[in-house]
Amino acid sequence: MKNVICCTILFFSVGFASAQDDLLNELSSEKTNAKEIETAAFKGLQIANMQSTKLTSKGEWYMVVSHRFGDLTNGFNNFFGLDNAFTKFGGIYGVTDWLSVGASRHTYDKVYEVTAKYRLANQIKDGFPVTLVGYNTIDINSKLDAATFSGLKFTNRLAFSTQFLISRKFSDSFSLELNPIYIHKNLYEYGTEQKNEFFMGTGARYKIAKRMSLNIEYAARISTIEGERSPYQNPLTLGLDIETGGHVFQLVLSNSQAMNDVAMYSRPSGNWNGGGIYFGFNMYRVF
Amino acid sequence: MKKAVLVVLLVVIVFVGGVMDSCESSTYQEISPVVTNPTYSQNVGPIIRSTCSGCHNDLGSYAQVKNAILNRNLICRIESESCGIMPPQGKMPQSIIDMIKLWEVNNFVN
Repeated sequence: MKNVICCTILFFSVGFASAQDDLLNELSSEKTNAKEIETAAFKGLQIANMQSTKLTSKGEWYMVVSHRFGDLTNGFNNFFGLDNAFTKFGGIYGVTDWLSVGASRHTYDKVYEVTAKYRLANQIKDGFPVTLVGYNTIDINSKLDAATFSGLKFTNRLAFSTQFLISRKFSDSFSLELNPIYIHKNLYEYGTEQKNEFFMGTGARYKIAKRMSLNIEYAARISTIEGERSPYQNPLTLGLDIETGGHVFQLVLSNSQAMNDVAMYSRPSGNWNGGGIYFGFNMYRVF
Repeated sequence: MKKAVLVVLLVVIVFVGGVMDSCESSTYQEISPVVTNPTYSQNVGPIIRSTCSGCHNDLGSYAQVKNAILNRNLICRIESESCGIMPPQGKMPQSIIDMIKLWEVNNFVN
């Protein structure tokens, strides 16, 4: 918890400190009229698993195919994860430049995920310090069946995530993102899950070559039940962006095999120092 | 720009409204049926088939599942961290595990 607060304060103070410098610069230099929007804090729509502040442009269709292979650490037993792969397949459409909607189907719990992403503010060169983006997801779990759960109602299938993405591009090669996350589940396991869970996510991108960047993200669980230990870990994910002719291919290494945000944040079962590491990729194709 | 702000507000309201309206949460325990005498054909079999048989093709029949509980530590595999939890994507709801254990206690009714 303390770490989270420290990170938040650090993040904002860096932002504001540089904003102050910008003001001083403005005093001593000629006034420029055009407000230039800082673009491409992140090159992909996702940092790795987490959403980035990038949106699709108006009228663009994206096809998304993501894959997470099974546990790498099982070795030949499942051929390093080839046997039990999870797939995400979906599409995203840019309604306007600042609003996009998407839908996808996941292997995990046979989830259908519906998403909306909307930009609230842009980072401006020598101006507003950060880009603000809202992101909502609704999960529909289609795996639950009434034969097993006699009291099942449709609303039990739903789970929600609400995220507030704050990013700042510090230089051409380095960007940082903060992401407070609220997750609500209409169906949960008493004792190991909560109906409302809060996380503080952070992500960063560092460009290591002209068409490659190294990404890292982590989300700390803020809400824990007193005296109870969640069997789930915090999600820690490494990514490698490879730009190939207009679209981005991302290699991902994570302790969460699930890709829908609700499960990705709240139920990662893998442990970075004890097994359960999942390798995979995100592939975006623009139409 | 004003229009944009309005639309954003609208989206937020719809989302919040939707969440408010359908945010009643239940636990798995609450929506699980009370089964006092679980049988293989009615209760245990369908769960094992949908949860385990995809990978474990040696868990397809009554005799195989019974044998897995008696000799191959099935209960520990689905319940305890120390055995390495199955299924790999996460433990089944506790109410299901309890039902399978009750099936064992009641001497494996077919």
